[in-house]
Amino acid sequence: MQLATAKPKPTPPAYRRFLRDYGWAYLFILAPVLLFLVFTLYPVISAFIMSFQKYNIMKSKWIGFDNYTYMFQDDIFWKSIKNTVIFTLATVPINIIITFILAFFIFQMKSRWQTFFKATLYLPSVASGVTISLVWLAMFDPTSSGLLNTFLGWFGIDPVIWLGQSKTALFSLILMSYLGSHGSGIILYLAAMGGIPKSLYEAADIDHASGWTQFTKITWPLLKPTTLYLLVTGVITSFQVFISVYMMTQGGPNFATTTIAYLIYESAFVFYDFGLASAQSFVLAAFIIIVSVVQFKFFSSDVEY
Amino acid sequence: MQQKSKVVLVGVATFVLLIWALITIIPLYWMIIGSFQDSAASASFNPRFIPDSWSIAPYERFFNKTNAFRWLFNSLFVSGVLTVTNVFLASLAGYAFAKLKFPGNKSVFWILLSTMMIPSQVTLIPLYVLIINIFSLGDTYTAIILPSLVTVGNIFLMKQYMSSLPTSLIHAARIDACSEFGIFYKIILPIAKPGLAVLAIFTFVAQWNEFFWPLLVTRSSSMRTIQVGLASFKFAESTDYGAIMAGATVGALPMIILFFALQKYFLQGITVGAVKG
Amino acid sequence: MARVVFNNVRKEFVDEKKGTFTAVENSEFVIEDKEFVVFVGPSGCGKTTSLRMIAGLERQTSGDIIIGDRIVNDLHPKDRDIAMVFQDYALYPHMTIRENLSFGLKNLKKSKAEIEQQVKQASSILGLDELLERKPRELSGGQRQRVAVGRAIVRNPQVFLFDEPLSNLDAKLRIQMRVELAELHKRLGATIVYVTHDQVEAMTLGERIVVMSNGIIQQIAPPTELYNKPNNMFVAGFIGSPAMNFMDATIENGKAFVEGAQIALPQAVADGLKSYEGKKIIVGIRPEHLYGEEFAHTVSKEHTMDVTVQVIENLGADNLLYFKVGSRMVTARVHPETIARLGERKRLVIDISKLHFFDPETTQRIALS
Ligand SMILES: Nc1ncnc2c1ncn2[C@@H]1O[C@H](COP(=O)(O)OP(=O)(O)O)[C@@H](O)[C@H]1O
Ligand SMILES: [Mg+2]
Repeated sequence: MQLATAKPKPTPPAYRRFLRDYGWAYLFILAPVLLFLVFTLYPVISAFIMSFQKYNIMKSKWIGFDNYTYMFQDDIFWKSIKNTVIFTLATVPINIIITFILAFFIFQMKSRWQTFFKATLYLPSVASGVTISLVWLAMFDPTSSGLLNTFLGWFGIDPVIWLGQSKTALFSLILMSYLGSHGSGIILYLAAMGGIPKSLYEAADIDHASGWTQFTKITWPLLKPTTLYLLVTGVITSFQVFISVYMMTQGGPNFATTTIAYLIYESAFVFYDFGLASAQSFVLAAFIIIVSVVQFKFFSSDVEY
Repeated sequence: MQQKSKVVLVGVATFVLLIWALITIIPLYWMIIGSFQDSAASASFNPRFIPDSWSIAPYERFFNKTNAFRWLFNSLFVSGVLTVTNVFLASLAGYAFAKLKFPGNKSVFWILLSTMMIPSQVTLIPLYVLIINIFSLGDTYTAIILPSLVTVGNIFLMKQYMSSLPTSLIHAARIDACSEFGIFYKIILPIAKPGLAVLAIFTFVAQWNEFFWPLLVTRSSSMRTIQVGLASFKFAESTDYGAIMAGATVGALPMIILFFALQKYFLQGITVGAVKG
Repeated sequence: MARVVFNNVRKEFVDEKKGTFTAVENSEFVIEDKEFVVFVGPSGCGKTTSLRMIAGLERQTSGDIIIGDRIVNDLHPKDRDIAMVFQDYALYPHMTIRENLSFGLKNLKKSKAEIEQQVKQASSILGLDELLERKPRELSGGQRQRVAVGRAIVRNPQVFLFDEPLSNLDAKLRIQMRVELAELHKRLGATIVYVTHDQVEAMTLGERIVVMSNGIIQQIAPPTELYNKPNNMFVAGFIGSPAMNFMDATIENGKAFVEGAQIALPQAVADGLKSYEGKKIIVGIRPEHLYGEEFAHTVSKEHTMDVTVQVIENLGADNLLYFKVGSRMVTARVHPETIARLGERKRLVIDISKLHFFDPETTQRIALS
């Protein structure tokens, strides 16, 4: 083969070429990476160190595992774990069922009505946690003229001191979660339902599969990724439930609604014990990371069938 | 047979949905209706569902006793700035992660993504120390804004979205002598508009509704956002439900209006970057 | 004066799952100035990767690429004096056709007047005048295709790169555009490197054709040579439709013994195959070089084979007869009035001058100097 007689052009030095080829890309991610280093990585490391210290702005003292031992011996800590777990177990599965039923029903509607119900059921999600808490605080009015008590009155039930007694306080927060907005979950389910090929149901019809069989063999399995997604995000959010507690009960009465996130807030910004709060926050982080990793396992085995 | 059960199903579905839609809407309806009735006199908040008289007295009390206009401005300003920075930085980084080749692309992205698992409670305390004690930024806009300039979640969404854009456009522009930033600015941004709009809307709403961080780093009334202001008003005036409902309405109404104006984006946007399937 | 030269060019991709994967292996060729060269090969064989390396959109792992008289290894695409037409056209959807055409020139800081003039010229060559103020989505597939070509023309480059530009068009439009592209080449007098997986497109457009398979160049030759003297069984099977037939044979006493036929070979051929005496070889014959007995006017009826017809396809202009030789299915493309019935014996005439011989071990053509 005839080789070309080309002017040899001196190759630029390696670092120049590297900068020319990749410089822009690095520039494009520079801001997020710097922000990540300063506002995520540094704080995580710092929190880890703090959790072994009696923290003081001027001079912190190393106290080894004292924060952790104190935490694990603290009844209120265990109570907050219990409250958080109860809240999560009571809300997440039932909310998913509610979401699914609503989405399934909307799916049966004509497209105009679908939009109407989607919009209506989604609307409250644009209101802030503070707003929603304020409204529910008013609705939970313990006197007989409070909205919920008036409603109970129609059935001859005595007024309930919703948030004011340990018996019902946590339940009240759970009830509020049931009756809140399920809008985004509904929309995700609807998108997934719309993505199931019609031909699957037609084939099932030909095989005379019953409606229930079609549901268990086609609909439910194909919606599993969405369900799993809602399960995981639901668990993570409810592990961190905070604003409603802060606004409505301040963790009371008698710690009946103290969740782990509220406890961390209290340790840090009521008692200014940053070390203890950091230790507590790592327990929450452990919970969430475990859930996320389990999710990841589930998902990746699900996606690559 | 099949036909009949379908009719029954649709009937049941319509009934349940109407009831549930009512339940979902009642709190907001009640908030708004309650804010226009003057119940300051009575000890408990007890507005009529269909009011027989209207009053703006609760609003007068709310605005007189608070810095509410300033709070609204603060919220608007903070959410606006954060929307712009998030859309710009997240789309820029998302584009780089999705479409550009560079050593470390995958690993940097995965490191960023994996930190999404760390709950904010862990980083909040050192962040507080950093902003308040080390940077001495307490009670400033900068303090509220700085840590949220761009979130990893938004970068992830934009990476997903950018991946779906055709790579050949980038190649064509490169051959057309367009600079790398030019490709992003003149080609990618215009064709990514629908995705950017969704990101902007959700960021704006999320920032408008953000509560905890602004609560931590603001001290004076004039620096509060509307959410923090509302909370402080509630703790100061816990008995004046009428005025509290007026405040809650003032805080929520901008988002409700935004929702009605941009319903399409809200309802379609949720599925961007969520689970596939 | 712009040749395109590959000197031992190699491209590896590092893929997380597959590990290191060689997309183009030791590629060497010289494309002469003003030549129209077509790269052809099955999907995934490395055609696009080769083209992108010429464009500078991918950097080769090793080797040199030369355009004109410059080694362009380290040159940015914009400095290589090339233009590219993409398979999906890659028109900027938010710009009008005029803006699409002038985008590159603007980036090169050309004067307004010059841009205007270039756009005008390109649009009149391609008949885009009416469409200049429209957006790409308002155009039909064929019109978009023209705009994509136009965007390349306005740059007035030394080398045009086409990546499967016709594959998204319907069959009729594709033929029409093929003719236009051939004319355009004459008119522009530029070097054209054209990639396609369609061998008909390759044969009709290319002055020379580069056949690739699995990242390796199999043969570089003009269409007729490719058809008449394929280097190996891959090229032989890839070029031509229906594909060339292969039959297992043994050479004994200057004769090729195939199941159902014994082909006496001309002396020259027999001499060339001396070293295969008593061994197995593969005989190739194109379907169009088999004739029904009654229509074999142009060839001597000396060499025949008797086969049992299994399938008959009537294409109008010809009939395709399918039958088995040994374990291999063989096709004959015969005159439509040839008498043949399913399941019955039929005598076919072989055009002995059109036989190809391949080594079964190496699959290479056996040269019969
Ligand atoms: N960016 C890339 N990363 C990894 N593998 C690639 C990349 N681009 C192409 N390949 C692989 O290289 C091979 C050749 O691809 P290509 O040149 O596009 O083939 P084609 O001949 O169909 O145009 C294919 O197997 C393809 O999967
Ligand atoms: Mg290709």
